[in-house]
Amino acid sequence: MASLFKDLTKLSAYRDRRFPGNQEEFEQALHTSTTVYIGNMSFYTTEEQVYELFSRAGEIKKITMGLDKNSKTPCGFCFVLYYSREDTEDAMKFISGTILDDRPIRVDFDWGFQEGRQWGRGRSGGQVRDEYRTDYDPGRGGYGKLVQQELEAQRQLVDYGTGSLGSFPPVMPPPHYGRRGGHNQGGSHPQSRDHHHRKRHREDDRPPRESSKRTLDHASRRNFDPNSRPEKNPRFRESANSDDEEEDDGKQRP
Amino acid sequence: MSSWRSLLLRIGDKCPDYGTSSDFKEHIETCFGVIRRELEHSSDDILPFLLQCAEQLPHKIPLYGTLVGLLNLENEDFVKQMVETTHANFQDALDFGNCDMIRILMRFLTVMMCSKVLQPSSLVVVFETLLSSASTTLDEEKGNPSWQARGDFYVSCILSCLPWGGSELVEQVPEEIECVMVGIEAYLSIRRHNSDTGLSFFEDDDESGSVVEKDFLEDLWGRIQVLSSNGWKVDSVPRPHLSFEAQLVAGKSHEFGPINAPEQPEPLSEVSGVLYGKQKHNAELKYPQRIRRLNIFPASKTEDMQPIDRFIVEEYLLDVLLFLNGCRKECASFMVGLPVPFRYDYLMAETIFSQLLLLPLPPFKPIYYTLVIMDLCKALPGAFPGVVAGAVRALFEKIADLDMECQTRLILWFSHHLSNFQFIWPWEEWAFVLDLPKWAPQRVFVQEVLEREVRLSYWDKVKQSIENAPALEELLPPKGSPNFIYSIEDGRERTEQHALSAELNNKVKGRQTAREIISWVEESVFPNHGWDVVLKVVVHTLLDIGSKSFTHLITVLERYGQVFARICPDHDKQVMLIAEVGSYWKNNAQMTAVAIDRMMGYRLISNLAIVRWVFSPANVEQFHTSDRPWEVLRNAIGKTYNRISDLRNEISSLKKSVVSAEAAAAKAKAELDAAESKLSLVDGEPLKRLKANAEKAKEEEVSVHESLEAKEALLARALDENEALFLSLYKNFSNVLMERLPDPSRARTLRELKSIQADEMTVDLDESSVMEVDNESRRPNKSQSNGGKDSNIYNVGEKEQWCLSTLGYVKAFARQYASEIWAHIEKLDADVLTENVHPLFKKAVYSGLSRPINDVSSG
Repeated sequence: MASLFKDLTKLSAYRDRRFPGNQEEFEQALHTSTTVYIGNMSFYTTEEQVYELFSRAGEIKKITMGLDKNSKTPCGFCFVLYYSREDTEDAMKFISGTILDDRPIRVDFDWGFQEGRQWGRGRSGGQVRDEYRTDYDPGRGGYGKLVQQELEAQRQLVDYGTGSLGSFPPVMPPPHYGRRGGHNQGGSHPQSRDHHHRKRHREDDRPPRESSKRTLDHASRRNFDPNSRPEKNPRFRESANSDDEEEDDGKQRP
Repeated sequence: MSSWRSLLLRIGDKCPDYGTSSDFKEHIETCFGVIRRELEHSSDDILPFLLQCAEQLPHKIPLYGTLVGLLNLENEDFVKQMVETTHANFQDALDFGNCDMIRILMRFLTVMMCSKVLQPSSLVVVFETLLSSASTTLDEEKGNPSWQARGDFYVSCILSCLPWGGSELVEQVPEEIECVMVGIEAYLSIRRHNSDTGLSFFEDDDESGSVVEKDFLEDLWGRIQVLSSNGWKVDSVPRPHLSFEAQLVAGKSHEFGPINAPEQPEPLSEVSGVLYGKQKHNAELKYPQRIRRLNIFPASKTEDMQPIDRFIVEEYLLDVLLFLNGCRKECASFMVGLPVPFRYDYLMAETIFSQLLLLPLPPFKPIYYTLVIMDLCKALPGAFPGVVAGAVRALFEKIADLDMECQTRLILWFSHHLSNFQFIWPWEEWAFVLDLPKWAPQRVFVQEVLEREVRLSYWDKVKQSIENAPALEELLPPKGSPNFIYSIEDGRERTEQHALSAELNNKVKGRQTAREIISWVEESVFPNHGWDVVLKVVVHTLLDIGSKSFTHLITVLERYGQVFARICPDHDKQVMLIAEVGSYWKNNAQMTAVAIDRMMGYRLISNLAIVRWVFSPANVEQFHTSDRPWEVLRNAIGKTYNRISDLRNEISSLKKSVVSAEAAAAKAKAELDAAESKLSLVDGEPLKRLKANAEKAKEEEVSVHESLEAKEALLARALDENEALFLSLYKNFSNVLMERLPDPSRARTLRELKSIQADEMTVDLDESSVMEVDNESRRPNKSQSNGGKDSNIYNVGEKEQWCLSTLGYVKAFARQYASEIWAHIEKLDADVLTENVHPLFKKAVYSGLSRPINDVSSG
């Protein structure tokens, strides 16, 4: 890679505050790591989609989806572990900023996955960036969590009853689901939810009962999550840190 | 005021550093003004940075050369140092065979000559040295003609300099340069024409050998001759030194010391045969041809430019691609803003596609070119998307003739590209493929693009994207759900096997270990139900438990892989295991491939078992209609290759560790010895420490040695396994082809093969008269493609297409793994490529290996 336009020693502007070491060790970890962090994903993107896209940069060893620590459902980030450093660099160079599932994703070097890092670090369970967002993003559960809570409160005031949080219709009409248009136009909310729902449960033909089903799905997956079975996988033997600490996983990244 | 760094970096660009000016002369003056002031205290920084700019932004070399010329008037020592550094770098590049550096530094030398920094005769000496080395290589006694690739490369470098300084050389040293040209002509007359048809994008169906296309060097020579006859006028090379000529003549020209071309390779005893082939392959790996022209657009569409301008713009584009990978913004802006006074959108598209499809391998992974094409579509939204669409249409038109490997890359690229542009494509244009037989390459192309789109997105989304041609839904893959034969959801009859499956499922849910499950299988299932039932129940149940995601699959395989290993200990059983995996995921090509790949990763199945499964009848039947078996085969060979590469890398780094460990041990020993000899001077303690050090260093050395030996043993075993893999692969290929290829007397060439069915079809189908084939001389439409929507006929028969596709893959695998295969060629020749093998099969292998065709004894 050309060294004229990029400082090759500076790999990431993001500094994970939970990295157990100093800045120098952090940078060393980034320089040798074969893990990439992928951000700004849709909640509905599956591991298989990630696999199809990222295997174009090289053979993949492992994918770890980021999960909402309360609902155990994907919350818009993941880690991909490669076998070789060269492939890791290519994923960063050639996939970052391109579209996956109608969204521009961000790919960064990561210092290496450890148990616990798959959970969202926001107060509500997802990523911190989804706490404070004020825009309506259908690919990431609608409004940010705080706005949702506010809407919920207002709704109860006018006695509409309590609906599930994520299913509030947007205040602004969503962009028309045209085939031309911005990257984030996932379509009107119910429609896109329906599509994505089918995608995630492609093996399941029963009528959807969304939130409960999804929770079940990921609860059962947890049983088989290698990360939760440290005795099987020495890489993850370190026990998890407490994850109640509020920390930004999105905001500090440029 | 901008810093000298950004002025150097941005010279010639439209950018804030240079205000509103886009005039090269002004840029040079501004930059020179700043640099001359900075030289005094920053010359140590300026020199390497200036060189780096010239090396990595070679399209700006004339600007840097002129700047150096002006600096030469100010500070001769600085420029002298610069020339010396360039000399050292150039010699290094020659010694290490760093092709890009050699090529670019020669261009830099040429422009320095134009700016009076170098004597023209110094440059001529460089040319002569390289030319003489090239000619010696061709000499059978003093050189080694199998290394022609190196000679060709040197000569192409000389020719490539001429657009930048040809007119100066002819003016200043006419006799010397004439002498070089005569030498090149002589070289061209004795070298072998490069006829590596195995690397052409399109299946070379001109096998009659009537028109021999120019190879790369002959082509460049032709362009240079046109240039010479035009008085060396070239639009695409800026000549800023002319604006400063009056000043520059006062500069002092520096000496460029002699350079040494690398040693000649050892002569060979004969100029054919295996050894020749192996060396030729190695030489071509080291000195690869940089570009292969892909003519996609009709001449009426492409930009009208001089032959040499096309070459230069290609060079510019390739260098931007080479040096600016990873810098998306700069890469796109340099690509669209080259210093040429004409448009080149079509040429740019052809150049990028020629890299994406370059055989055997492009310099970067195809995904890089995917990114560049996307970025250019955004940078030139009004122009480039249309050009890309035109390229796609043109390639689609000729897809039946496109090399198999290129077809695969095109499918992966196109699906990925569309996924970044909302999946918009005028599919109605291609709806006609539904009328074609299911083996027609255009139809298979559409089907595979849709398959990959679904993988990158999801079924309903892709369905929606083809709404202009809803009938194409027929080509969409199935919805991808597993085919779980023990599903109890749809109220099917519950059999005994259902009960076993449910029992196994409960055991897994109850977290029983693999060992417990193995005993259950061996004690209660196998004795009562037999092995076939065991296999079905275990595979379907475990895969179903792991079906929710990639991670679920991995987890099941990590926990229960031993169950598979126990019930399928040998190849025969592993083949049946793979077949069950294929049955469970029959609706999902991606999961089939992933599951097989992971099972190989956990060494539950061997690559040989995978090859056997790929060549099982059910898969062989799909060879011409689906990528499914090929994807599995590509993965298996790729994974094997990756393992070997990893071992090689580990060994090479261990070798370095051995060297340093030996040095460390020797040093510690020497220190100890020295101390012991002066024993009287030191007391016991330090000596003890030195002794301990020496022992530790020795232990270290021994342990590194041991790990190296262990890895080398592993590599030796892996290479044996690799030999077995390729033997099995090509034996299988040979067998299935032998069963299906027509008698060699009926099909000596691919073209004859293609026309067999056409001849038969003219008898039963009247409407095919448009495409009637006179197979002696005229070809329908040049290729077998469909000229337009009115001729929805693909007149290659199913069996013939099967042979064509399969031969295409034979060639593709041989080409991709040529280095590995050459290592085992003797064995392959003895066991597979025997007398009885079908000549078309043999030809495909040879062509993939770029093995001289005259070595094919049977013709």
